[in-house]
Amino acid sequence: MPNDGGCQNLQNFFRNVEGYGRLGYSIGGTAPLGMPAEIRKLNKFILQPNVAFGADLIKPASKHWGVLAGIHFENKAMHIDATVKNYHMQVTQDGQSMEGVFTGNNDSHAVQWTFTVPIQAVYKFNDKWKLKFGPYFSYLASCNFDGFAYDGYIRVNDPTGAKVLLGREENERGNYDFKDDIRKCQWGFGVGVDYFFTRKFGVYADFNWGLSGFFKSSFKTLDQTLYPIYATIGISYRFK
Amino acid sequence: MSFFHHKVVVIVALTTVTTIFTSCFKEEPLNAECDIEKAWVHVDDLDASFYNANDTLINVLSNEDKIVFTMRDDADVTAFAPQFTITPGATISPASGSAHDFSNDPVTYTVTSQDGKWSRTYTVSCNRMARYTTSVIDFDFEHFELDKDYHKFYVWHNTLPDGTLGDDWATGNYGFYIANRNSAPNDYPTFVLDNGYDGHGVQFVTRYAGSLGAGMGKPIAAGNLFLGKFNIISAILQPLKATEFGIPFTQKPVKFSGYYQYSPSSPFTDKNMKEHPDRIDAGDIYSVLYINHDRNGNPLVLYGDNILTSENIVAVARVNNVNETNGQWVPFDIEYEYKKEINPDMLANRGYNLTIVFSSSIDGASFEGAIGSTLKVDKVRLTCEEKE
Repeated sequence: MPNDGGCQNLQNFFRNVEGYGRLGYSIGGTAPLGMPAEIRKLNKFILQPNVAFGADLIKPASKHWGVLAGIHFENKAMHIDATVKNYHMQVTQDGQSMEGVFTGNNDSHAVQWTFTVPIQAVYKFNDKWKLKFGPYFSYLASCNFDGFAYDGYIRVNDPTGAKVLLGREENERGNYDFKDDIRKCQWGFGVGVDYFFTRKFGVYADFNWGLSGFFKSSFKTLDQTLYPIYATIGISYRFK
Repeated sequence: MSFFHHKVVVIVALTTVTTIFTSCFKEEPLNAECDIEKAWVHVDDLDASFYNANDTLINVLSNEDKIVFTMRDDADVTAFAPQFTITPGATISPASGSAHDFSNDPVTYTVTSQDGKWSRTYTVSCNRMARYTTSVIDFDFEHFELDKDYHKFYVWHNTLPDGTLGDDWATGNYGFYIANRNSAPNDYPTFVLDNGYDGHGVQFVTRYAGSLGAGMGKPIAAGNLFLGKFNIISAILQPLKATEFGIPFTQKPVKFSGYYQYSPSSPFTDKNMKEHPDRIDAGDIYSVLYINHDRNGNPLVLYGDNILTSENIVAVARVNNVNETNGQWVPFDIEYEYKKEINPDMLANRGYNLTIVFSSSIDGASFEGAIGSTLKVDKVRLTCEEKE
């Protein structure tokens, strides 16, 4: 195939491609799928600076269907405080470990600055409404997961083990930092809706559900696998 | 056709979103714990069975499974009916308050958790208080074993007047285990010294408590051994309260003696692991006799924060300046310094507690000391006043 033919093909391919810029805010958490009975109560849910921005390209394939690919940069952070009962934990650090069953309060803080590439099928109802769904792939550029167990007690190893009280102050509680155990490459599934009120400007709502565990599979501290589950709302601008 | 498409897509989308939001709170799990928290007995004639009212109630520590009522020699325990406070929802068998014959063997009780998945067994016994017939009580540290639950760290037994072994020696080793479970027995703060002054002795080394301990502002763990109980429930929240010093004692101590070696390490650090080059670590060896109840007769225990300062202290014998001994055994022989008169009736009725304390870092309770400071102790003797 001659070179200029390939170029021509490429030009043809992009001729009807639509381009969108997005700016949004995410809300959600990194949580087990199906709340375990051990988690009793959410005491606090503190909103985080979860900005999301990025660009998407949509290649229409038929009157209604199309394919979306994009690149987003976003923060999926969370800060929660929950009451737990008989929550099993095993913390390993420097070759030593501490295992037990905790009843009390837990304050967790997660930060994930990620580059995300969504690849989605797009269904266009009309010029205003679009529905999108498909997988996404994320790379965590910067992340953290830390917190502390406080105002409660640990039973060492299991519920028949020695009981040790925890307090609220820095040196009375069980501090943890699982930063090194976070999976840097994650993926999941997203669904979203776009609504354009003018030809150029619109709003959107996305729902992204992590399907790879937040922590590496070697991480045994928590019994449940945690998944990042976040919803994003924002404004979009069509630039092409 | 277009309508059909729309409908399918909307249904798929709605189903997905509904599935996601079904993660709601479940019913509270049943209690998994199965402890005896308290054991007590009601007797019509207290003085016929017990030396004092405080001996009728026992607060059971979470890591204990032996409950011992100490009673008068002639107490009738053929139909003794102890009662128990257990974890809410748990069940106990045989029943709390049921009468059993305790005159020969201990009675075993099983507590099963509310969720039915866990159980613990406890032995309850009624012991006659044995009295020492000699005026010198020996502590030779020849009776030790690895802890029965985890087989990780040493525990010591004292020899009771009737020749049986008691559980009166306590250490902070269990606290060290919480965050350093993979350590070998000889890497714990308190462990067996194979070549003591005479047979085995005890060795105490101030240890680094690991990053988990350091993260809780408790970076070091001094080796210790004391007569009393280590109440692990306070180990993190109020570590000074974890050392419950003293056991009831019915003789008047006069002299405290034994042999020790000490070697301070460096650098000396505080609870933030800040180095203090001007400070040199020292060991601590002392014994205290105190009144084990308040003015109203309620039980009173001295802890790490008041064992040397409480108004209830009657007598103290403390080795001054446990410093570098250059690898030599150094004898100590200290007379008890009495601050109060002894009341002989109260002494006979278990109204005084006695403790003996060893520590590889004198300020170890405040997490100040030098990692590696080593104390060795052996052949400790307690000389008491001869009875008329």
